[in-house]
Amino acid sequence: MKIRPVVNGRPRELEVEAHALLLDVLRDGLDLKGAKRSCDTQVCGACTVLVDGLAVSACTYLAVEADGRAVLTIEGLADGETLHPLQRAFVEAGAVQCGFCTSGMLLTARAMLAENARPSRGEVLHYLRGSLCRCTGYRKIVDAVLAAAENGPAAGNGQ
Amino acid sequence: MLRPFTLHRPASADEACALLAGLGDDAAVYAGGTELLLLMKLGLLRPRHLVDVKRIPGFGDILDGPRLALGAAVTHRAVEQSPLVRARCALVGAVARHVANVRVRNVGTVGGNLAFADPHSDLATLFLTLDATIELVSPRGRREMPLDEFVRGPWETARAADELLASVRLAPWPGLSYAAYVKFGVHERPTLTVAVVLALDGTAAHGSAGIRDARIAVGCVGPRPVRLAAAEAALTRASIGDVEAAARAAGDAAAERVDPADDLYGSADYKRDMVAVFVRRALRIAAARARGVEPAERFHHAVVA
Amino acid sequence: MSARPLRVVGRPVPRVDALEKVTGRARYVTDLTMPGMVHAKVLRSPYAHARVTRVDVTRARAVPGVVAALAGADVTWCDPYYGPAYRDRPVLALDVARYEGEPVAAVAAVDEATAEAALELIDVDYEPLTAVMTLEQALAPGAPLVHAGQPPAGHFADLSTLRPKPSTNVCHQFHFARGDAAAALAGADVVVEDAYRFPPVQHVALEAHAVLAAWDESGALTLWASTQNPYSVRVELAKMFDVPLARIRVVVPHLGGGFGSKTYAKLEPLAAILARAAGRPVRLAASIPEAFQTVRRCASRVAVRVGFRRDGSLVAVECDASYDVGAYADIGPRVVQKGTYTATGPYRVPHVTLDSRAVYTNTTPGGAFRGFGVPQLAWALESLFDVAAARLDRDPVDLRRQNFLAHGEEFAPGDTPIDGKLEESLGRAAEAIGWTQARAADRGRGVAAMLKASVAPSVSEAIVRLHADGSVTVLASAVEMGQGARTVLAQIAAEVLCVPLDHVTVVQPDTAVTPYDQTTSSSRSTAMTGRAVQVAAEDVREQLLAAAAQSLGLAVRELELADGAVVAPSRRLTYAETLALKFGMSGGELIGRGVIAPGRTAAPLGGSTPFWEMAVGAAEVSVDEETGAVRVERYVSVADVGRAINPLTLEGQDEGGVVQGLGHTLLEEMLYADGHLLNGTLLVYRVPRADDSPAELECRFVENADGSGPFGSKGAGEGSLIPVSPAVANALARLTGVRLRELPLTPERVWRALRSRSPQGPDAR
Repeated sequence: MKIRPVVNGRPRELEVEAHALLLDVLRDGLDLKGAKRSCDTQVCGACTVLVDGLAVSACTYLAVEADGRAVLTIEGLADGETLHPLQRAFVEAGAVQCGFCTSGMLLTARAMLAENARPSRGEVLHYLRGSLCRCTGYRKIVDAVLAAAENGPAAGNGQ
Repeated sequence: MLRPFTLHRPASADEACALLAGLGDDAAVYAGGTELLLLMKLGLLRPRHLVDVKRIPGFGDILDGPRLALGAAVTHRAVEQSPLVRARCALVGAVARHVANVRVRNVGTVGGNLAFADPHSDLATLFLTLDATIELVSPRGRREMPLDEFVRGPWETARAADELLASVRLAPWPGLSYAAYVKFGVHERPTLTVAVVLALDGTAAHGSAGIRDARIAVGCVGPRPVRLAAAEAALTRASIGDVEAAARAAGDAAAERVDPADDLYGSADYKRDMVAVFVRRALRIAAARARGVEPAERFHHAVVA
Repeated sequence: MSARPLRVVGRPVPRVDALEKVTGRARYVTDLTMPGMVHAKVLRSPYAHARVTRVDVTRARAVPGVVAALAGADVTWCDPYYGPAYRDRPVLALDVARYEGEPVAAVAAVDEATAEAALELIDVDYEPLTAVMTLEQALAPGAPLVHAGQPPAGHFADLSTLRPKPSTNVCHQFHFARGDAAAALAGADVVVEDAYRFPPVQHVALEAHAVLAAWDESGALTLWASTQNPYSVRVELAKMFDVPLARIRVVVPHLGGGFGSKTYAKLEPLAAILARAAGRPVRLAASIPEAFQTVRRCASRVAVRVGFRRDGSLVAVECDASYDVGAYADIGPRVVQKGTYTATGPYRVPHVTLDSRAVYTNTTPGGAFRGFGVPQLAWALESLFDVAAARLDRDPVDLRRQNFLAHGEEFAPGDTPIDGKLEESLGRAAEAIGWTQARAADRGRGVAAMLKASVAPSVSEAIVRLHADGSVTVLASAVEMGQGARTVLAQIAAEVLCVPLDHVTVVQPDTAVTPYDQTTSSSRSTAMTGRAVQVAAEDVREQLLAAAAQSLGLAVRELELADGAVVAPSRRLTYAETLALKFGMSGGELIGRGVIAPGRTAAPLGGSTPFWEMAVGAAEVSVDEETGAVRVERYVSVADVGRAINPLTLEGQDEGGVVQGLGHTLLEEMLYADGHLLNGTLLVYRVPRADDSPAELECRFVENADGSGPFGSKGAGEGSLIPVSPAVANALARLTGVRLRELPLTPERVWRALRSRSPQGPDAR
């Protein structure tokens, strides 16, 4: 099937099979390796990408559903070489360790801040319920999200 | 990894039903896919055709009326954010906010949730207290049945192979009704879900009104979610200002009547006791709300909506 | 020069790999592709124990797109057995499958879907055998044997004395004694004793095991592997394939978490054999459920008797520990003896008798997991310490303080003297948790301490290269798995060579390029690999000073390094200038070498630990008395690290250790029934989420620069995890009067205990 998603701001035209998962199309078809396959059951969040701004588990989402929609992956979060405020906050707060959960964490936080620019700690915890990290104690991740939110409205934006 | 299938995208319910009738066991209804694709990846389901119902007119709608109708393809997220749902029955939106996680809510649908009848889910428990009916359409026509009849057991419903779940219709509680929903458990899916509603006798003074009607539904602990009439009966005529004894009686009655089994989520005796605990707690919360107080108390490993 | 203030070391600088990770550019094994690469899938045994009477891969092999399909019997060209302790494990089951999930056959095909579909065409006949699923079943007289014969020993150096118990499921026994514990216990004023259970738990690294294996035209093998110790993988494969070490190359990209799960060969042998059969590069990537079928922590039952004098001084510890190492030994025997060795914790104990055993069962092989045998024992000892405190009517903090080994005191004859000050850690932890302050009625507080040896003897080597422009390359084989090793190594080199951090590049481990390092585990990378990097950088510094001295006609002692230059009172040569003068051209580099190899000693385990890892944890908990749900509201960890090379990454690592510890304390347990693992997916195996992290979580450090590592550092990273379960259980006991002896403290387990609690309190006689 032919699909025309806009991936990280760039219109794409792709031929995909009906059963192709968005995660595989992004990773293997478009060489966007930032989204990871981990639990494969929508629990962990490592494969998170945003479709029309909404976080989805790309491991359990048909690629054909992205037809005509905007897909944002971690590769599209920064503005060129300028890091997104969330990325900067993650670097500075030490919210990154092995990095396998990082792209999902960042995109989930980005989706949250787009709807709620000033979340409370509790709201961040609620939003991150489906985002597992096995390296950090989560504290630095939550701190980083809150710090990015403090730094102003830009955090919820991105292309 | 998914095995190949053909994706059908019917533009009408008739077309979808015809497809289902023609394809029989080879087809599965597909909306959000959060449950279907998961089971397909695990190899537990192997349909060769998926019938996508998201393009059927009305399936994505939330409609007002005497009953609030949620189209089968409405996402949890849409329910959470719908002003209409908030206005007619705010608790439905609040519960939707706690289904699974944000990614599942963004994609997963009300219809999928009910049609799979996964015993560890949220919506059916709550909807039992809203006299929910399920609208089914097929080449033979349209029928509506109570949710209680629709869910027959774990992953088992009254839906025929060529039928489509079109919508769920909820009867919002009358004025002066106060409700609470609590779910408990450590796993990804809940161990126990409890929904309670207290409808007050409007004649008494605020804070000491009597309970005219109580509804109590419990899910996840048994093969299917159930309304518990015996527990409900314990509440009638209790005063909202002093609900404790009645809440205890209701909790005990509920615990007696559920049908838990030993499994990964816990031993039967534990789950039975938790039913008593959380029915009691949910009733206290609803009663507090009836008195105009939002309880601040939260419970470990539990969500209160 | 030694008094110079530190510029880079000790600072909370962001990780050197942070940028590539926040932009999604960091590459992990499954992100790599090669021309011609094919994908492997594994057919696994559905039985915990079964005779495999027939495996027929003919139909799978005939599937278009399948390039190799192998059963165990097809692996004839090499030794099919591997294992670091015992070579007891065939790459694919031969005759017998010993656990549910054991690889029985494998397929490589042009894509994953084809490989997976082909698996269904493999015909296997099983004859189920009686399985032993628990320690009790495996140790029962006449129990079915998981392994009939005695397998040969593996390659691990300090297991030269493996002591199996023939014709039983015990594959290794450890015994250590000093003084006369039996007599001392008989004469002790107070003796506390009990048996404590620790569950089998899985690491759940978000990246499951993955390998990309390729043989080249010359017959050399290269693997890109998610391994914590490429050099162990290399020696394992060289033995199996009977080829020189130099013909095998193991390259390690970023790891998506390790925690011990990626130590020693796991899927690498199978991937290499499939690649050989396929004649093409093969990617073998496990799923999370397959990780549950690859390795786990060794479950245990630990019985401890502890004797005290009336004055509170510890006189004796007797410990009997059984560890369930699963169907294949992996590194289990070392986990057992290493864990048991420090069963007495950080305490002065005159009389000690320790016995432990590694027991085969028909379950997922048990191996290394953060803490390496110590969490199981600390769970018992530190719980009993609080029981003893109650019996002695002593404050648990005071009783610990009284019995701590002092700085410089001997732990065991021939081993490294104690190199830290636990009383300082305990004091700070107690203060931070408010130990002596009033607590809310619904909160309970508890403490626990730990001590752990690092692997010894061990070897780390490093090469540091100073390039013509003054930039630096560090070649070392410490694996970056999220702990921050590359950042710390870069900081050490930058510090010694007085260059900015961004002038230093740390090359990813590659056995063809980066020098030998024994393993990235045991909290050893900062102290051992870091020390090798420091020595190598110092070697470069000496060469640099000598070169500058010669060019300037000055003595070396008149020179020092500052800000990328060699400086004398009146002269200054940048590194680039120094090298250009030395080589007479712009080119050429200085190469420094660092080798840390302390060798064998008379210490009980054959080598003296390079440092003692020591930490204290303090928890404040609440419990829902009606449901049994426990919540850790506040947690303080204080680790004696000598010096925090990078306080930011260290804090992150220790916070992660605490929360991982909360996993096995409150939530995690692999559950088996009827020979089947019931919860091998994240839908039903629950690891901590963000909302499980304590609302207040503080990780602090004692820094007295008293370690043998660079700049006085010691190892860290396991210390924060180990005290968590006893600290939480002690807090729960003090709050509720309930003493639990089995982890995890699930709501149901706590609920049951609360309902049957004795009115006297838990720790009463």
